[in-house]
Amino acid sequence: MKMDVNTAFFIDLFFHQVGLWWVVIPSIFLGLIVGAIPGFSAANTIIVLLPFTFLMNVEVGLVFMIALYCASRLGAGIPAILVNIPGTAGAAATPLDGYPMAKQGLGQRALSISFVSSIIGGLLTTAIALVTMPWLARVGFYMHSVEMVVVMLFGISLIASVAAKDTIKGLIAGFFGLMIGSIGADHVYATPRGTMGFLELYDGVPLIPALVGLFAISEAFMVIETGSFMAKDRVQTVQNANWSETIKGVRITLSRWWHVTWTSLIGLVIGVIPGAGAAIASFVAYQQSRTFSKTPEAYGTGHVEGLIAPEAANNGVTAGTLIPLMVLGIPGGATAAIMMVVMQYQGVPTGPRLFMERPDLGYGVFMAMFVTYLLMALTILPMSRYMSRVTLVSTTYMSPIIIAFTLVGSFVPREYLFDMYLAFGFGIIGYIARKTGYHVAAILIGVILGPLLEQYMLRALKMSDGDPLVLFSSPLGNTLWLVLILTLALPAFLKKHRQKAGSRS
Amino acid sequence: MTEIGIKRRSFLKTGAAAAGGLMLGGGLSSPAFAAYPDRNIDVIIPTAEGGGADRLFRAFSSIWKNYMNTNFEPGFFPGASGRVGYEVYMGKYEPDAYSLIFGNMGPEVLNWAVQKPTFNINDYLYFGRVDTDPGVVFVGAESKFQSIDDIIAEGKRRKLNVGTSRLAHPASIGILALGEHTGAQFNLVPLSGGKKTVAGAVTLEMDFCVLTSGSVIAAGDACRTLLVFNDENAAGDKLNNAPTMNQYFGTKLPPMFSARAFGIHKAAVDNHPDRFELLQKTFKQTFSDPGYKDAFLKTKGFWPYSNYGGVEECESFKSAMLELGERYRPFLAGK
Repeated sequence: MKMDVNTAFFIDLFFHQVGLWWVVIPSIFLGLIVGAIPGFSAANTIIVLLPFTFLMNVEVGLVFMIALYCASRLGAGIPAILVNIPGTAGAAATPLDGYPMAKQGLGQRALSISFVSSIIGGLLTTAIALVTMPWLARVGFYMHSVEMVVVMLFGISLIASVAAKDTIKGLIAGFFGLMIGSIGADHVYATPRGTMGFLELYDGVPLIPALVGLFAISEAFMVIETGSFMAKDRVQTVQNANWSETIKGVRITLSRWWHVTWTSLIGLVIGVIPGAGAAIASFVAYQQSRTFSKTPEAYGTGHVEGLIAPEAANNGVTAGTLIPLMVLGIPGGATAAIMMVVMQYQGVPTGPRLFMERPDLGYGVFMAMFVTYLLMALTILPMSRYMSRVTLVSTTYMSPIIIAFTLVGSFVPREYLFDMYLAFGFGIIGYIARKTGYHVAAILIGVILGPLLEQYMLRALKMSDGDPLVLFSSPLGNTLWLVLILTLALPAFLKKHRQKAGSRS
Repeated sequence: MTEIGIKRRSFLKTGAAAAGGLMLGGGLSSPAFAAYPDRNIDVIIPTAEGGGADRLFRAFSSIWKNYMNTNFEPGFFPGASGRVGYEVYMGKYEPDAYSLIFGNMGPEVLNWAVQKPTFNINDYLYFGRVDTDPGVVFVGAESKFQSIDDIIAEGKRRKLNVGTSRLAHPASIGILALGEHTGAQFNLVPLSGGKKTVAGAVTLEMDFCVLTSGSVIAAGDACRTLLVFNDENAAGDKLNNAPTMNQYFGTKLPPMFSARAFGIHKAAVDNHPDRFELLQKTFKQTFSDPGYKDAFLKTKGFWPYSNYGGVEECESFKSAMLELGERYRPFLAGK
């Protein structure tokens, strides 16, 4: 199929994708549900529905998967904000500021902020991807193991930020998380470490049980004690909330358009790197957002920008992760890998040949993503008012529901009973950490990013025959090291600067 | 009275017949005398649902069930390079021929050579090989290496970084053997999975990579194959008509396959030879059923890789892998 790729082509493609609303809208709702339930994800839902996808026309099948994927990414933020349960690892940074907002009775506003930043982040990065795909795909050619070690350190340095209020406890929690993250077979010789004889831990500590245990189950234990998600005066705020809260959330987010823009771009660039994902992007975006903020001390207490950053970033990843698949023929993540299977099944090539033979499909995938985000603005935003009412449900009912849902969610990805026990164990660890003033987020950052850091570090060392200087061997890597040092030093510098300015005035 | 007597006699006869029938019937329904199989057969798959093994299993069992008159019920136990599935199969399932394992004889058996499992590896045997997918040497489309000669020449000048899905993999053994034969120096770097290995080649992080050919074919134009670890290149132009190692270098390396096969407890074979015989017989019948080719092609499998093997072929391959694993053990285990 020979086509001219010009403005008319893109306009035609846009309206063609809008015409597929009958696939997009049901997929959005399905995606929201599977994204919001911990343990379920776009990838495992698409696997379950794979036989149906094979029966569909290839274009319809791809649109279905794209809409499901985008909506699940957005949906994962809903329980993260309302009840402190991140649906996926990509939403793990969302509750850091989203949940405190919900506890202040601002759940509806928080959802609105989350939705708008996700949608704008998704629209913006998809539009950029459509135009700059061939160049963006080159990122993977420069971001190798050495560079990724530094990117991981950006995320892990967040432990220090989280630990700012109580350095010793924060660092202990972070190192504890890193230790848990090192459980499992090593990345080179596959020698099991710290598995305590459990085969289920050979591949490392599974993320979902750790995630839901540390955040959700421990929170459920806490609210059983306190009897409510929020103070009584805040309950009144939620009850009195009307549409204006949603509109306020939209306004707040739009007024921070630049923040949404650059944090979503972090997501796009990290998403393009094969194997990197939304969890890395959201933590790095959060860390960068905090570093350049004028009010870093407000992060973790319900700060708007602390919610915008991870949500814009993890939706920026969605477009990025498809670029290596479409342009190079290598899937950037689990969902992209399944899309590749479907495309192969239908005889559609991936990589450069796709854009030569089927540009309507190559560009169409990104246009479908664009249309999905547009339609999500119309369908999801109005729901924030009703969703936020979840926080009014009595903890007598909510706590057991949360525990039951999260335990089932822990079981789903691998279908091991062991994972349910593990989630419960993490719940107890999280509960003890909260009661004794250790930050569960610091533990989780270690659990999520620690294994990735180790993997890239060991790979770089293996390639250099164990020479540690390899970590400083690439110009791009060295630039990233410099930026890392600067961003770590910047908060202290800014603090000093502000103190000086304050004392002068 | 006569009438009653006749009745009594006929009653006794009928009663005896009924009792006999009941005993026989009861006996037939007891597990010891039941016709095999009288229930579903569990199949443990040591990889994740939705992957290549899952699709191949479903294609094969969709026909095999007709010959066995029962369904095959898959259970997925991914993790630790297949180790979890095998440990579950050997540790938790009765050796009664009502459970099988569907594994990959290449990497999974090599794994045993590197790290011993908790069970005796002779306590199970493979009896039905479904496919063979050879390992290949490949580069990214933008690589400067155009042929295997380029790689060997460069490998004699400096140590080349070679991406592999994991160290204990037939393709890793293949490249080590090539290095030994040619004097080229290779540094194997495990990239944890096929997708990442393809990415390692395409993004040029690695000088080149080794992997089973199915994943390389799937990557299309993004990769270029330079050598095949088999006696023939059955995929032809799908693998860029790359030469085979034995043909090009005159070596005698056994084929470095990823080979998926059904396995069974050795105790089940010993205790229920009739059941094992039925499994073997119907497995072979399935292979020659035209319906199987259709089912296989529907999975977008590459038909020339569909390759029947019985106990003999499987056991000889298993032994070859164990032998090679033992030979390269210090390298694969880092000891």
